[in-house]
Amino acid sequence: MWPRVWHFLSFGAPGVLVYVCFVLAPIGISFWYSLTNYNPFNPPISYVGFDNYVLLFQDNEFLTALKITSILTAIVVVVPNVLGLGVALLLDRPGWLYNALRSVFFTPVILSSVVVSIIWSRLLDNDGPLNAFLRVVGLDPPGWLSDPDVAIYSLASIVCWQMLGFCVVVYLAGLQGVPTELLEAAEIDGAGPVRRFRAVTWPLLAPALTINTVVLLISAFKTYDYVKVITNGGPGAGATATIAFNVLATGFDANHVGYASAMAIVMLLIVAVVTAVVLKLLQRREVDL
Amino acid sequence: MRWVRPSVAVFVGAIFFVPLYLVLANVFKQGARIASSPMSLPVPPTLGNVVAVLTRPDQLFWVSLTNSVVVTALSVIVLIVLSAMLGHYLARTRRTWTRVLTLILLAGLMIPPQVILIPITDVLRVAGLMTTLQGLVLFNVGYYVPFGVFVFTGFIRGVPVELEEAAVLDGASRTQVFWRIVFPLLRPATASVMIFLGVWIWNDFIDPLIILGPSQGTTITTGIYRSIGQYQADLGSVFALMALATLPVLVFYLALQKQFVKGLTGGATKG
Repeated sequence: MWPRVWHFLSFGAPGVLVYVCFVLAPIGISFWYSLTNYNPFNPPISYVGFDNYVLLFQDNEFLTALKITSILTAIVVVVPNVLGLGVALLLDRPGWLYNALRSVFFTPVILSSVVVSIIWSRLLDNDGPLNAFLRVVGLDPPGWLSDPDVAIYSLASIVCWQMLGFCVVVYLAGLQGVPTELLEAAEIDGAGPVRRFRAVTWPLLAPALTINTVVLLISAFKTYDYVKVITNGGPGAGATATIAFNVLATGFDANHVGYASAMAIVMLLIVAVVTAVVLKLLQRREVDL
Repeated sequence: MRWVRPSVAVFVGAIFFVPLYLVLANVFKQGARIASSPMSLPVPPTLGNVVAVLTRPDQLFWVSLTNSVVVTALSVIVLIVLSAMLGHYLARTRRTWTRVLTLILLAGLMIPPQVILIPITDVLRVAGLMTTLQGLVLFNVGYYVPFGVFVFTGFIRGVPVELEEAAVLDGASRTQVFWRIVFPLLRPATASVMIFLGVWIWNDFIDPLIILGPSQGTTITTGIYRSIGQYQADLGSVFALMALATLPVLVFYLALQKQFVKGLTGGATKG
């Protein structure tokens, strides 16, 4: 018995302890806050039960944030996945040119989201290079970041640009794992390139699809940095305010800690459920060779 | 038709490269010309922007750089030690409760930082660590332990246990076995953890913004964020600051490119 306890204390406990202190306990505290009207500048704290949660689902600001976050997540899960597969198929050749291009596509992945945000807010500025180009071509471009109806799609595109390289690299690795014998056998059996892709390559890319989708899902859902740096939730009333953005704005700027915590707990539940379901569905597709 | 693939690849790559070109061109361009012709080549090139950032009287760049280096290095070292030991413990102790513990830890991989940041500030305030680098390092360790455990447990399961058993028979203690025999075998896993957490923590924005607070020091990312508010007009400095902030990660990436991709794709292929 004691050697086992000692083994846990010396090897397992330190890591578990910091995890408990800085992740699990804060979730518990968040839940407790969410049942109160806690506001550090407006004591006393009183217990309000699930009132915050009831309010939340009648709160247009929150429902808008939920919608904005869903749109953003849907775009960011689908677009880099699809384009990433396309680019990976395009670059799946040996040679210096393709190696160099792989590095180009991967570079945004290692950039800070703050840097990416500033670059794109220059590019998409009303008088920025993109609009200058579009006007030369004779188009009348919208205010990519200043039009409330367009801004969220601009933000989503920026996230897609940054995440694309990740998907490309994961798909390229997946493509390396497709045995050439299988492709050759399919060719001998008379399968054309499209058929070969659908019947051989695509099923074998299932693990890569799982990784990409789950990573994109988790990172899209917590989108905060781009919103904070580029639009600060605007333009207009919360046109780009994601849930993650609203949690911190409500908690730290408006000091409604109780309410913000209810929002955080709902956000956590959504991420957990959606990730678990998506992971299960995708893993069921994965085949063993 | 042999030219089709390379030309399409170059064309797509070129479009994708435009935002990166914007930085490269404007770092070496005079401030006034950045606003008027952002896409032009920096002719004649100038080092003025870089020099201006490096010699700012408030030392924003140097202070931020020091903070980022300290926070990143300390967090990564502590994370490697703690998660390698915890990962080893979990991989080698196969009981129901360690399996549950592993699941609870892995669940941490998907928890958004915004969910826990509000209580974190209270936890750190109680511990007297709010607005300190130590507080940020501790938070990083707790928040990223799941990733370290995920990489190390997966890797250790593939390392034969016989080596460790033989060393125990020879009379080595558990700690000796781990540090002298197991840990050196974990080099590839350690490299992945170092690379990923190094880049994530270096680029992290929201956590240092909130934990270090508005007045107390900046990391390289929050430094850039503060600088766009301050000197909106001086775009040259903003671009130079962004380039200088990215340079360390870029060098790190280029030096370790192979391991980078290997670590990223470890799970993408079934092996």
